[in-house]
This record gives sequence, structure tokens and C-alpha cells, in this order.
Amino acid sequence: MENDQLIEDFFSEMKKQDQNLPIPEFPETKVSTFNWWFPMGIAASLLVGGLLWYQQEPAKEAPNEVIIISLQENENQQQTLIIEEKAYIDVWESSTSSLLTEF
Amino acid sequence: MNRSQLEHILKLHHREAYIWARHCCQFDDELAKDMLQQSYLKILEGKAKLKDATKAKTWLFSIIRYTCIDSLRKGNKLQALGEKDDFIEPVHDTEELNFEAILSQLPAMQKEVIISVFYHQMTIAESAEILQISLGTARTHYERGKKKLKELILKSHILEYHGK
Repeated sequence: MENDQLIEDFFSEMKKQDQNLPIPEFPETKVSTFNWWFPMGIAASLLVGGLLWYQQEPAKEAPNEVIIISLQENENQQQTLIIEEKAYIDVWESSTSSLLTEF
Repeated sequence: MNRSQLEHILKLHHREAYIWARHCCQFDDELAKDMLQQSYLKILEGKAKLKDATKAKTWLFSIIRYTCIDSLRKGNKLQALGEKDDFIEPVHDTEELNFEAILSQLPAMQKEVIISVFYHQMTIAESAEILQISLGTARTHYERGKKKLKELILKSHILEYHGK
């Protein structure tokens, strides 16, 4: 205990010296409170803008580049050529396919 | 615990916290100020949470200590733990007792335990909590630190006596 007294005296002197130590003022800490309304507002605006833009520009129809000539029988049992212009073709049959089936 | 309650705790311990920050930052005043501010920010931003209000001081000291360690480590100023365990430099200041120079000669862990117990009036158990070590380890650092500090104080007294 006698020796502990030595240490206690040491720290007591140190504390006395530290009384003159300039202590900084309690800092004004500004916590960065992130306001989520701003990014949410921007995201919502972009979403609405994007939707409006998407609606304003309907998908363009493909040009009618396919000409379909078909031979069909009408109600009078007469064969007529029907010419249609379409953007796509449903069924395609080769003009020479009959050669494969009939021979 | 809300922000104003935390601020109240910090203000209550501000002086001691600053002195502890100085002790952890190798008595560098400017670094201690920065570290204290960083520690306060950690607390007020909720990065460090106080679970038990009765242990506010221990908790605050622990945060300050780790903030200082991180900073010193980044600046490569931190001495490896136990590096000085068997090495005691003589104190050259014979005019007056240089507390900081004497304490700086203790190994880091011993110094922190001794300062927290003798300067900040904490128990060894509280000191162990701050340093996040076991009570047994803290006791060992305490005993060894006391022994070394006594030697250093006596040596400095002898030098002082002969200097005069």
C-alpha cells in the first residue's frame, strides 16, 4: 500500500497539473440526417415522366412489305387470284412443294 | 435513447472524455480533439449504441479508445502491443516530474489500465470492459503496470535529486 501511495501521489500531482489544461468546448455536432424525401421525389418524378413518355410513343406498325398472292375459289366455284399486302406472313408454302408431294 | 439524452451524457463526461482521449492519443492535444469529435459523431449518428445507461462512462471511454487506435493505426503511430514490455528508457527530464514522459514509457495496455484506474477512478473490471479484455488480463496489466510505474517514478525522483 505504501508503494501504491507513490502512484496515487503521482496521479494526484498530474491531475493538479491538468487543471490548467485547456478543455475544448463541447463541439456542436451536426448529425447528417439524410432526408429521404428528396431522392424519393426524384425517383417518383422520373417514374411518372417515363410512363408518360412511354404512353405518348405507341409502337409503330411494321410496313406492309409482304405481298401475298393466293388462288382461291369463290362462291361460284371459280378460281380467282387474291392479292394482299401484309406486314407478316402466317403460312408460307413453297411454290414447288407440290413437286415433293405429287411425285 | 434519444439525441438530447445522449448529448446530456456526453456533456456530463466531456472533460474526462477529452483527457482520456489525450491519454489514448499519446498526449497529442489536436489529435485528441479530433478523436473526441469523431467519437461524439459516432454516438450521435447511432453508430455506437448505449445499452446500459449505468455504464455510460465505460462505454464512452471504450469508443474514444477505439477511435484513437483506428486513427493511430492509419497513421502508423500505434506501437505494437507489448513491444516495450522489457524495455525501460531512463527519464531525462530532471527539472520537474514529466508525467507524460513517464507514462509513455509504459507498455500501451499497462498504461491504459493504470491511467483508467488511478487517474479516472475506475475499477479494474471497468478498465477491462473499456479495453475489452478479460478481468484476469486486466489484473495482470494492472500489477505489472504498477510495478513498472513505481520504478520509473523512483528513477525520476533519483534523477531529480541528483540534478539539483
